[in-house]
Amino acid sequence: MPSIKSIIRIVLFVIFGAFLHYTLPQHDVVRINSTEIIRQDLSGWNKVFYANGDSGNAEQTTRDLRLINTVRKNTLFFGFYKTGGEETMVYRNEDTGWIWPPYFKFDSSDLQAEASDNISQATNPRWVVITHYGWRNRYISIYPNAISIRPVDSPDVRIIPWFNIFFFVFLLIAFLMVRAMWRQFVERTVDPALTSAGNRWDEVEAEYAEKKSRLRRFFSKK
Amino acid sequence: MSFIRLVLFGFLALSVIYVSLSVYFRSVRRENLEEDWAENHPDGGDPSERSDYIERGMAEYAGSIRKRLVLLVYIVPIAAIAVIQYLTN
Repeated sequence: MPSIKSIIRIVLFVIFGAFLHYTLPQHDVVRINSTEIIRQDLSGWNKVFYANGDSGNAEQTTRDLRLINTVRKNTLFFGFYKTGGEETMVYRNEDTGWIWPPYFKFDSSDLQAEASDNISQATNPRWVVITHYGWRNRYISIYPNAISIRPVDSPDVRIIPWFNIFFFVFLLIAFLMVRAMWRQFVERTVDPALTSAGNRWDEVEAEYAEKKSRLRRFFSKK
Repeated sequence: MSFIRLVLFGFLALSVIYVSLSVYFRSVRRENLEEDWAENHPDGGDPSERSDYIERGMAEYAGSIRKRLVLLVYIVPIAAIAVIQYLTN
């Protein structure tokens, strides 16, 4: 039976993995069939899955949301291996600005123009790679946010997720670094303090024992 | 407004990383100096000479390029932000 500790560890790991899966860039090969703008209500709790208003604009409870409607041919889990087949997919297209997640995207309008430029029909498809982050969920009406669009010749194009490779290597280095720092801190600061506290304790105990025996001797003399 | 917030919190976070990294590297450096001394003086040597040796080594480190390299903690993320922003837009 798994212990409480390992359950907590698994839950934390899953939450962290989900967070990364939401935030890191991923690539889809799609055919764009239309672009549209809908009025989006942002008063519900699913607002956390939407960006703030375009940078420079005030925050409202409803605002226009740019969408890119596509047929997705190919999708890659963290960009590393293929998951899922052909299905429709809708992306939103919003500025992230200076806020989380750190894509620093300010060019939603330009991206929308690019998307419109690459619209094609099933009979004569033009394939593009959409870099995006986020999730599509029908039940809570959320869309992944498109970051960039790159036309490609064939839907079987090989995509190398440079950023994710770099990111995971960096994460590993950071983890090892923090572990090394923690060990150094324990070795150089915590352990000496504990040892000196332990020594002091031993001294106190010794003093006490000494006094006790002296008293005992004093009384036994009488 | 959000830009100012990013700069502020980014600076705070990077400062925390900077301080902990420099403390860590100093500590490693001191440990190495202590180990060097112990290697050359198996009997322990003169305590005041030992602390002189270590303080000299630390002073040397304080003026070194390696110590200044920790400043990359500030430079690299700013450069990364600039690159990401350029590539995205």
